[in-house]
Amino acid sequence: MDAFYNLAQGFVTAATPANLLMCLLGVLLGQIIGVLPGIGPSAAIALLLPLTFGSSPTGAIIMFAGLYYGAQYGGTLTSVLINVPGESTSVMTAIDGHEMAKQGRAGVALGIAAIGSFIAGTLGTLGLMLLAPLLAFAALAFGPPEYFALVALGLTALAAVGGSVLKGLATGVAGLIIGSIGIDPQVGVPRFTFDQMWLFDGVDFIILAVALFGLGEVLATTGMPAVKPILNIGRVLPNRQEWRQARLAILRGTGVGFFIGILPAAGATIASFVGYIIEKKVAKDPSRFGKGAIEGVAGPESANNAASAGAMVPMFSLGVPGSNTTAVMLGALIMFGLRPGPEMFTTNSSLVWAVIASMYIGNLILLLMNLPLASLFARMLQIPYSWIYPPILAICLTGAIANANSVEDAWVMLGFGVLGWLMKRYDWPAAPMVLGLVLGPLFENTLRQSLTLSHGSGMIFLSRPISAGLLAAAVLAIAVPAITALILRQRQISLPGT
Amino acid sequence: MHIRFGQGEVILALLFAALGILWIATAFGMPFWQGFAPQSGFVPFWYGVILVGLSAAIVVNLVRQTEAAAEPPIGKPLIVLAALAGGILGLDLAGFGPSVFLLLLFLFAVVERLPVARSAAVAAATTAVLLLIFKAWLRIPLPTGPLGI
Repeated sequence: MDAFYNLAQGFVTAATPANLLMCLLGVLLGQIIGVLPGIGPSAAIALLLPLTFGSSPTGAIIMFAGLYYGAQYGGTLTSVLINVPGESTSVMTAIDGHEMAKQGRAGVALGIAAIGSFIAGTLGTLGLMLLAPLLAFAALAFGPPEYFALVALGLTALAAVGGSVLKGLATGVAGLIIGSIGIDPQVGVPRFTFDQMWLFDGVDFIILAVALFGLGEVLATTGMPAVKPILNIGRVLPNRQEWRQARLAILRGTGVGFFIGILPAAGATIASFVGYIIEKKVAKDPSRFGKGAIEGVAGPESANNAASAGAMVPMFSLGVPGSNTTAVMLGALIMFGLRPGPEMFTTNSSLVWAVIASMYIGNLILLLMNLPLASLFARMLQIPYSWIYPPILAICLTGAIANANSVEDAWVMLGFGVLGWLMKRYDWPAAPMVLGLVLGPLFENTLRQSLTLSHGSGMIFLSRPISAGLLAAAVLAIAVPAITALILRQRQISLPGT
Repeated sequence: MHIRFGQGEVILALLFAALGILWIATAFGMPFWQGFAPQSGFVPFWYGVILVGLSAAIVVNLVRQTEAAAEPPIGKPLIVLAALAGGILGLDLAGFGPSVFLLLLFLFAVVERLPVARSAAVAAATTAVLLLIFKAWLRIPLPTGPLGI
């Protein structure tokens, strides 16, 4: 019952006018960012960080969380109306959602997505509320070897999510390398600063996140052709038959999405894929899928929203993010002087519970906002990208300078922006690099502490059951996709012409 | 010789490998191990070794590919990058306000060929909003030029 008492306290904090405003602002910005191309929730949170300096961390994290799940709603609009997913989590929604729009049922697709997202987001938050404290309690027994193994799992799992495990691992290790610039956290001497004073503090995670997710994304998207949206929204509430078809899909999507979301780095994208596949498997007539089946929208949309709540479980309870955006949120928490992990539930209990409570409020705001305002948000899709990206660039530039009142940081952002553009161009994932930078000091400290404890023996990681289990999971996270890719390639070789 | 793999991606992988080599070389000049405890150079050295190994594996994979994916043009992104570099250079010379305004105007009116009057209006409005938020509200000392903004 502690969880419900704490939740009630959380509602008291979340319901203050200032925090309600932050929640509203977060979900509204998230909705807009989900609709606009060239900027995702990760970049948006990184850009908003300078604006939150000096404000209450609770309000800021409430806004960031709102932005995160609000963007999931926004991404649906572009999937349904122009067949271009605003976020990778909405890729599966586009398949049947856009077909529904072409049949004049865009409103119903958006309506069921909003209703499904609300149910999934609310139930997912309930799961977060019940599971995260339990996990945090278990993690209180963690020592340096367990933390090292946990960070290793977070990095490898996030690296393995993208198209290429090798590229994901390379960018993750490059992030760890960038994270080692500056003062050695254990002995206090400068390293890898190359006699440059401005490198003594290391590379700021905001600069890297803005450069990779903001500038890099803009550069990669500048040549994007305009797509004409379907603006005939029609009715948004599903009729009785449509509701009957969608309701179980929503519940299945919620369950599968939440549990995939809590796996470190598995994330909402995979959840939406699995949500769609399950719906197609259980359907009496799978041939309807791809031709405007409402379950093809309800399942993946519920799954990706439940996964957003699920991804907060490892972030709050273990300090390991479950998605790209929670990786940036983790950096934000560290910037506010908080240490995400098991202690969060004891040392910053009011913040955690206020954020959880705000997620119930935010999901309700999104439902109320999306049903009547779907056509208004749809009109935003008519704004040409040529009017959108220059202000995004100006915000990136201002955010970089404002972070430390330094023009040098703008040059650093430009340099990493070029890297981000090349990475985006060749499909190298950026999130592992940011996570490597954020978790680098913890990774190195716990490795060095563990080796000191064991008198230099690496067996300490294998002789302790939790760290051994986590490292085994890290190895599996790399091995499973690599072996799967190898098998698929072998099949292609043995079946020429297929 | 006709090269079929994506040259740009090979260059990117080689950049990552170069970063790894730089870290290995620099870590050699640092204390590595003392008594039972690893020192400053130990972990970065292994980061470098792993990054070189991963980059080499990526290069091998790319070279073994029989077909390269079509690469999108780089002209426009390079112009945008050059404009941004010009905007950063202008921060110390002209100040934040004029630099950002001119950067936006250039991107709207020259790069995107949008109507000049509307471009100027949107550029001015965006710059004003940024100045209001960061300079007036958050009191962040953005670079100033002869115009005081």
